Amino acid sequence: MKKYIILLFILFPFLSKAQSVSGVVFSHEANGKQPLPGVNVVWEGTSEGTASMPDGSFTLKNKPGRNKLVFSFVGYESQTVRVSDNDPLEVVLQPNLELEEVTVIQKDRGTYLSVINPIQTENISGAELHKAACCNLAESFETNPSVDVSYSDAVTGAKQIKLLGLDGTYSQLQVENMPALRGLATTFGLTYIPGPWLESIQVSKGAASVLNGYESIAGQINAELKKPDSEEKLFLNVFGNDEGRYEFNGNTNIKVKGDTLTTGIFVHASDVSKENDHNHDGFLDSPLSSTFEVANRWKYNNHRGGMAQAGFTLLWNDRMGGQVGANSDMIPSVDNPYGVNIETNRVDAFFKSGIVSQDNHRALAILTNFARHETKSYYGLSRYDADETRFYGNLVYTQDLDLAAIHVLNSGASFIYDDFNEMLYNQDVQRTEKVPGIFTEYTFKPSDRLTLMAGIRADFHNIFGNFVTPRMHFRYQFADHYTIRTSAGKGYRTANVISENTFLLANSRPISWTEDAVQEEAWNFGFAFIQNYKLLDRDLSINAEFFRTEFQQKLVVDRETSSEFIYLLPSTEKAYANSLQFDVRWQPVKRLDMLLAYRVNDIKETIGGELKDAPLTSDYKGLINLNYTTNLKKWMFDYTIQFNGGGRIPRVYEEWMNRADIAGDIFEFSPYTIMNAQVTKYFRYWNIYLGVENLTDFTQSNPIEGTDDPFGENFSATNIWGPTMGRKIYLGLRFNLNYE
Amino acid sequence: MKKLILLFTMAVFIGFAGNETFAQKKENKVVCFKSNMDCADCEKTVTEYLKFEKGVKDLKIDHVSNTILVEYKDGKNSDEELAAAIEKKGYKADKITKKEYEEIVAKNKKEE
Repeated sequence: MKKYIILLFILFPFLSKAQSVSGVVFSHEANGKQPLPGVNVVWEGTSEGTASMPDGSFTLKNKPGRNKLVFSFVGYESQTVRVSDNDPLEVVLQPNLELEEVTVIQKDRGTYLSVINPIQTENISGAELHKAACCNLAESFETNPSVDVSYSDAVTGAKQIKLLGLDGTYSQLQVENMPALRGLATTFGLTYIPGPWLESIQVSKGAASVLNGYESIAGQINAELKKPDSEEKLFLNVFGNDEGRYEFNGNTNIKVKGDTLTTGIFVHASDVSKENDHNHDGFLDSPLSSTFEVANRWKYNNHRGGMAQAGFTLLWNDRMGGQVGANSDMIPSVDNPYGVNIETNRVDAFFKSGIVSQDNHRALAILTNFARHETKSYYGLSRYDADETRFYGNLVYTQDLDLAAIHVLNSGASFIYDDFNEMLYNQDVQRTEKVPGIFTEYTFKPSDRLTLMAGIRADFHNIFGNFVTPRMHFRYQFADHYTIRTSAGKGYRTANVISENTFLLANSRPISWTEDAVQEEAWNFGFAFIQNYKLLDRDLSINAEFFRTEFQQKLVVDRETSSEFIYLLPSTEKAYANSLQFDVRWQPVKRLDMLLAYRVNDIKETIGGELKDAPLTSDYKGLINLNYTTNLKKWMFDYTIQFNGGGRIPRVYEEWMNRADIAGDIFEFSPYTIMNAQVTKYFRYWNIYLGVENLTDFTQSNPIEGTDDPFGENFSATNIWGPTMGRKIYLGLRFNLNYE
Repeated sequence: MKKLILLFTMAVFIGFAGNETFAQKKENKVVCFKSNMDCADCEKTVTEYLKFEKGVKDLKIDHVSNTILVEYKDGKNSDEELAAAIEKKGYKADKITKKEYEEIVAKNKKEE
């Protein structure tokens, strides 16, 4: 860390103090540039300035503390220009073709589908993140039609996401375009990013760009955190719910040297110490936990094409689930209550830097991150301890092959180092992955309407050998209202057999594996059709998409063949996932945003020699989200309803289960509905929100089986398909102060 | 449970209906200013600040024509206090009549 800071200081440019600024203003006309007289030139935020002369020239005295000039002229787009050195400025103003009577403040778009990005991407903005309680990344998807969030078991509180109906492990998780929260962090990683630290989230489905590695199979989720050079000076958030969960979040940005060097400090603390057992099964509905996180990040931007960012995050997390009365001090034993205790310490660090050439046609970027993760845990009588050290580095060189940037080439090299030490059932597992790789990606963009992207990468894995990852994307807006997208690509990932499935330890059957790491391999194909219209003068967007993932090799969790073990085995037998989704976004009434979505999942894999529906996965999902804001956005109302389809419960077949009166409920779960609502009131510097999660108080009946004898052979807390927590009412407060 | 849904529906209804009826019920006062914001960010700053001034019901702020129109509940605020609020943010607030405002806006439109 220290090294980076020193580096930042070395990179500092030696700015000379200019006495005055001069330059020429032009207008952009059909026959070229013309000098533009009478243009207002003022220092931003002041009324001090001048007007351009008949030949378009101007001279202006420097003003201490101000470094941005605003150029404005009736009929032209205003332009703000940063003044950084003595060189005369040349400013070209564009005619303002859409000069409107008055600019009406538009409602912030919550989630929108990008039509420009060649990859099918949903952008979840800060406005959308305000719609739900949103305590951490896992909970940010409540209003999203594409991502499903569920608990993986009934005791640890681990949240699992699904994209295209496939487990979250098949989606590459990124923080600011760098793979993050992998390996040991897979199980709880989503809860490690506090919601208030987030700026936006991008969910892209299907094959991703080869620049980010070979890993994404179902898609990619990228979390952008708040930037230190943003206008936010101070942000504070407190949150509490009626189940005894309390949170505090705070962050501040400091301008160390104007907007050249800035730093942001982040703090998060959360605590659940109230024991809740609403269904009276003797087990906590959700674990007790305490988390503390701090982060510090720096950004250097010389505003002349050079940029560098660095930062670190420290995390302490302790959770205790299981029977009421279990605590982290007790010794795991059949004489004590059944407990699940997980203690995690983690440090993350990153450094990235980029240089853009003077002519804007070449750029070089380096992205690196580092993580150290330590976990000590027990699930009943089974102990699981692990640590991981990981390093990632990626170097990308971008080059425009022609002046108009119709042909662009991105190429580079990457390196992954990942070292694991695990201990389960007193058995040591050690593994080190070292993967150097090279890649190149060609983009063809002859106009705003068409993009073709083709990429290929080769990776040289020390355990799984060499492999090639080809990927292709195509986007075409063939008419004003219609855009199509197609994608095809291969993906690989290392399944960390034990760490990704630790939640299965909350079960009487021990897990059994043959290899501690398996390379999974799949093809993904996608097609999307987007229509954009104006209906009653408001944007209407209709999206239809289909994705198919076909596995060549998959780690299959078999919990239904043997009554002795849960098998975790690599399989090359048939496994696929089809996902068909429709969504419609419109404003039926002014300032009332409506989202209707429906998705059908067809996810199958071969378990015990038979092609079956993936267990514990709903076969469809419907979503309606309504968001209304009053004029000037002083109040905001949100309502979300999710319709989840039924699915299959994996069980080892036993004679008695065949009885006609119980058969249905044992092997299948029924569709269920979840509702959430929230009201937010905005004030000048703060806002208050009151909401309710799971309004209808629906919970899965008997989430834990065999509760009367948790150390006995019928105990299972892993057949979870629905919510284990009932209605929760929450109240929160946000305070923010901006720089001006 | 039913009660809760009912309560929520009512709350939403009051939110919707209340907002509309209040807006029409009482005659609001309108004041217009000529300003010197010049940039889009400045427009945003003024908007975010003015919308939370007492009694403000609607705003039309434009940095291109440099005009500000504030609609507010009579008695809750005054033209002078609103002008002071704009000046506090560092911008001019020269009071103009609604007619002058409309002329500037119309002129801006014509010059396009």
